[in-house]
Order: sequence, then structure tokens, then C-alpha cells
Amino acid sequence: MLGLLAAGALVAWLRGRSDDDGSATAARGRLRQFRWSLALAVVAASVIATLHGVLPLANKAAWLVLVSLAAALVLALWPAAVRRVLPVALILLGLAGFAEARSYAAHSGLAARLILPQAWLFLLAGGWLVGRSADPVLIRARLALGRVAELPRRALWRALALLPVLIFVAEFVPGQSPTMMSGIVASLLAVVAGLVVLRIWPAAAARLATLGLLILGLIGVFASLGWHWPDGGIEYGAVAVDGPRAVYAGLAEALGVLAIGAWLVPQSFTSARRLLGLPPDPELTQRVQQLTRSRDVAVDTAATDLRRLERDLHDGAQARLVALGMSLRAAERLIPVSPDAAAALVVEARETAARALTELRELVRGVHPPVLADRGLADAIRALALDCPLHVQTDIDLPGRVAAPVETACYFAVAEILTNAAKHSGARDAQIAMSHSGGRLRIQVTDFGLGGADPAAGTGLTGVERRLAAFDGILAVNSPAGGPTIVVLEVPCALSSPKISSS
Amino acid sequence: MRVVVAEDLFLLRDGLVRLLTAHNFEVVAAVEDAPGLLQALLDQRPDVAIVDVRLPPTFTDDGLRAAIKARCEVPGLPVLVLSQYVEQLYARELLADQLGGVGYLLKDRVFNDEQFVDAVAAVAAGGTVMDSEVVTKLLGRRSREAPLARLSAREREVLELMAQGRSNSAIAQRLFVSEKAVSKHSTAIFTKLDLALSDDDNRRVLAVLAYLNA
Repeated sequence: MLGLLAAGALVAWLRGRSDDDGSATAARGRLRQFRWSLALAVVAASVIATLHGVLPLANKAAWLVLVSLAAALVLALWPAAVRRVLPVALILLGLAGFAEARSYAAHSGLAARLILPQAWLFLLAGGWLVGRSADPVLIRARLALGRVAELPRRALWRALALLPVLIFVAEFVPGQSPTMMSGIVASLLAVVAGLVVLRIWPAAAARLATLGLLILGLIGVFASLGWHWPDGGIEYGAVAVDGPRAVYAGLAEALGVLAIGAWLVPQSFTSARRLLGLPPDPELTQRVQQLTRSRDVAVDTAATDLRRLERDLHDGAQARLVALGMSLRAAERLIPVSPDAAAALVVEARETAARALTELRELVRGVHPPVLADRGLADAIRALALDCPLHVQTDIDLPGRVAAPVETACYFAVAEILTNAAKHSGARDAQIAMSHSGGRLRIQVTDFGLGGADPAAGTGLTGVERRLAAFDGILAVNSPAGGPTIVVLEVPCALSSPKISSS
Repeated sequence: MRVVVAEDLFLLRDGLVRLLTAHNFEVVAAVEDAPGLLQALLDQRPDVAIVDVRLPPTFTDDGLRAAIKARCEVPGLPVLVLSQYVEQLYARELLADQLGGVGYLLKDRVFNDEQFVDAVAAVAAGGTVMDSEVVTKLLGRRSREAPLARLSAREREVLELMAQGRSNSAIAQRLFVSEKAVSKHSTAIFTKLDLALSDDDNRRVLAVLAYLNA
């Protein structure tokens, strides 16, 4: 142990020396290194203490020195690996502790009593380290667990209450006189079973955890209050309930478990929330409100667009067609009387038809731009860039199509942003970057103009933002005085495989 | 002159065939979808093809893509593309091979049959005809930039008509000036835009468009 500490200190000192560019940073680094060596020393000592009961180790002291030196070497050579291995080792030690406690159940004495709390301590410390580690492998493990559960963050924590339940179960399942191996295996199996439940039936995991905690709490209360156990006692969580004093510790733990279970009841069971007069789920309630708002906007927008379309057709193309009919009728009457006047009227009719067509073309462009229908968002944005009075560079990486409503919303959003830039920014150049990653479409429009654009002042961008909200999309504007103005919009959407063109 | 017509709406296809026949064109094939168009272009090798952008089977830009594909196989095959709307993006794609014999017009332009027939003939002769809407947009975008800002209003009018594929005499007629005045204007334009002079109408248009697209 001493050897390990000395080695750790030496490593820390050497590493501190090697980066002496900032003495404060170096000092912090040395301190951190020292803490890691300390943790490693504790774990290594525990491993040896655990193993010497199982393996026939003749010379305990010699092994202690050997393992300590090996650990110091590992720490010196692969500091990153230690950070990865340590939390996992702690968790495994904790699991082993439960089984080990049972083989010591016959002994009474402080050392035997400390094994269970120590096992819990190791487990919690390991879990805590996994939870806050910056190691890429452990981060991936955390993410995998989160993905496995496919639950919002808070619900995941609730479901993770399943783990203590499983460890309690693992304590009971191997019976009262197990071997250490069977204890470890049972604990691991229980944890795996828990992950499987999380994966297949995540919503049920939270309920199982709650019910399990309640039942275990009740068992604990009964066990502590003089249930007569054979072989002089029972392990209950971190306490071996086998004597008058242990009864109080066991009772306290049982009440604690019961309290956590009771606290989780209204969160895991919607019906219980209703009984207590609480809203079903605050997250869901918030989401429902948000969806109601964005749906109102979407319905409103659709109705407004249809009304505008009707008015434009009524005042534009329809009126022109009426005029066209009248001109042609007048020409028809004039042909025998005055062919020249008739011809003039026909020319007028032709011009009216051309104007009606122009108006219809503008209308179609406003409803659904043909190039968007033909080519999809990428080329439609390129076409927008070409039509813009500014000199617009495009950097588009979109290997496929997104859903048609999202395409339309994004197209009109970019059109609005470019129009704003052309009108107000005073810029000559602009840039559009579009890409899709992580299930999100991201479009960034930058103009190199005066800046100082206030999205709250004009209604244009607010309208765009509200329309994007229907797709859970967001819009952000950054426009410092003096420019540039950067508008970013992000919409969650799936990317379909690229359409195979016939050319 | 042998013409292939591709248009999916019967009324318009029929109207186009009548208009062309009335002006002494020989319509060798009138097809209604993109695969049919490609087949007709490769089999018939017409003097000019008149193609609607939007055609079956996908009703997107099948006509345009079929036309570009045919020009890959038969370089310079004259194609006049018609559409309900014009896009600079498509204009660029049509002009990309720099071979001439390309037209891109709004469908409304058939209202004026004489101008339309002139455009068909110009494309068949290897010229380049762009719709005034495309040209206006191109000019509008660059008009604030230095060399274009140097042009006078009259010179800009001449440039627009030039990019629409019109000859000097057609421009003179349109602007009610003498042909000599037009050639004076065009010399001024070429000098101000640093474009090399050329007698060839088509090269002239391509040079202007290349400049505007830059």
C-alpha cells in the first residue's frame, strides 16, 4: 500500500514536472493524479483482501507489494485506462461484497459487519464515477443506457431505481449460504435482467422499480421487527439483521427504501397522480400545451393562406378571364362591321391572357415553387440564391430529400431571410450553408451587411419562427451592430434516400 | 424543317403542331412523355425539338433532363425548352455545354406566333434564345456591379435583346432605330464589358450570358 502511494506520488510529481508551463494547472494536475492513485490503492487493496479468501495465496504481504507495484505501473503508463477501469472495478467489487458478506455471516465482529456497507459504498462510488466520467468509452456506455431506455432524462433516472431493487433481489436469490461466485453471477444476472426490462418495456421499468422498492421496504420492516430467521440473521441491503442493534439499522434502511418507493408512486403511476389531484405528467402537459399552440398557428396559417389565394385568384386571374371573354365577344360583334377595331380587341384579349398567366405564375410560385417540386430543397435553395439580388454563395450538403412540408417551410423561411437581407442589410454578399446530421436539418444564412437586425421588430422572422414551430423547428438570429447577420434554422426531420434520377 | 414536339397536355400539343405546320415546319413526332421524347430524338435526329420541362413519368423536370441527355449523345442537337415558369438554374444547365442550339422560353411566348417561330428557327440554326424573364433577372442581379452600371439605359435595352438571341436587325426593328445605331451600341457594350468582339450571333449571346453568370 505504501509502495503504491509512493509510486503514485512519484508519477504525479514527474507528470507535474513535465508540464510546468502553468504552475497552477500543474498543481491541480498533481492533486488530481494523487487522488487517482489513492482511489487505485483502495481498490487494489480491496481486490487483494477479497481474493485472498478465494485463492490460496500463501504469502499475503508479498502479493500485496507485487499487486501495488503492478497497479502503480499501470497508472504511470496508462493513466486514461485507469480512469476507465476504476469505476467498473468498483462496481464489480461492490457486487462481490454482497456475496462475500454472506460467507462471513457466521462470524460476528466489526470486520464482518462492515463488508455490506462497504459493498454499497463501492457500488455507489463506481456508479457515481461512471456518471461523471469524461472517458469516451464510459460516455458511450451512458449514452447507450439512455438510448436503451428511450426515455426522457427524468424518466430514465426513475427507471434506474430498478437497479437497487435488482441488487436486493440478487442478495436474496442465491439463498443464505452461497459461494461468492454464485453471488456475483446472481448480481450480474439481475443487472442484465434489469437492462433487458428497460430495453423492452421502459415504461414498466419505472413501475417495477417503484413496486419493488415498496415490497422490499415492507419486507425490511417485518424482518427488522422480530421476524425469526434461521441461521441467526438475514442480509438486508447494507445491513446484516442479526442482533438487537442491527434491528434499528435495518429498520432505518427499510423505512428509507419505503420512503423512496412511496415518493416514486405518483411519478410512476398516472392513476395515483389523478387520485392525488396532480396533473398527469408535467412534461407531457407542457408538451401538449406547446403542440396546441403550434397547431393553432399551423391551422391559422393554412386558413390565412387559403383566404389570400382565393382573393388573389378572384381579383387577378378570374377578373382577367372575365375581361378576356368580354373583349372576345365584342370583337365577335365587330368583325362584320369594323374588322380593324375587332383585330385591336383581339390583340387586347391576347395581352389580357398573357397578364393572367403571369399572375397565375406568381401565385403558383407563392403556393409551391415548381423548382421545389421538381428538384427538392437543395436545388430550390440554389435557385433562390441565383434569383436573389445579392451575390449568394451556397454550400449545400443534402444527400436526399426531406418530407415535403418541411421542404416547403424551409424554402419560404430562406426566401424570407434573403428578402430581409436584400432589403435591410445593405450587404452585397451572402452565404447559405445547409446540412443534415443527427436527425436535424440545419440551414445557416449569413449576410455581410450592417447587422443590428432585431427579429422582434419585423413580423417576417417572427412568422417564419412560428411556422417552423409546427415542425419543432427553431430559428436563431445573431446580428451584432456592424454585422455580419447570421440566421440559423434547425428542424428535426428524417432524410430519405436520394431519388434515383432517370438521367 | 423537321421538328419533334414533346408536350403531355393534348390541347397544347395539338396547338403547337398546328402552329408549326401552319408555318411550314414538318412535325415528325409529337410525343407525350420523356422516354418517348428521348427515343424520338435519337431515332429521328430532327432539326429542332420543342420540349416541355414538365413531362410524365414523374411530372417534374423529366423533359429538361431528357433534352440534356439527348444533347450528351448528340452534341449540339437543337432544343427549345418551354415551361410555365423559368428558372436561372435550368438556364445554366442548358447552357453548360456551351454548344449553342439552345432555347428556353415561357409557354406564353407562343401567343406571338411570329416571334415564337423566329425563336424556333434561331435555335435550329444553332443560336441561343433565352426568355426575357431570365435575362431581366440576370441583369437585375448584376446591375449594381461596376461594369454593368457603366451602361446607358439604351445600351442595357440592347444587351437584354441580344441575350434573348435577337439579331441586330431584329433589335433595330424592335427599338425603332437604325441597324447601324444598334451595331454602335453593341460595340460600346462589348468595350464596356471587356468582351471580345465576334461576328457570330450565337457566340455573342453566349459571351454575354457567360459574363452575366460569372
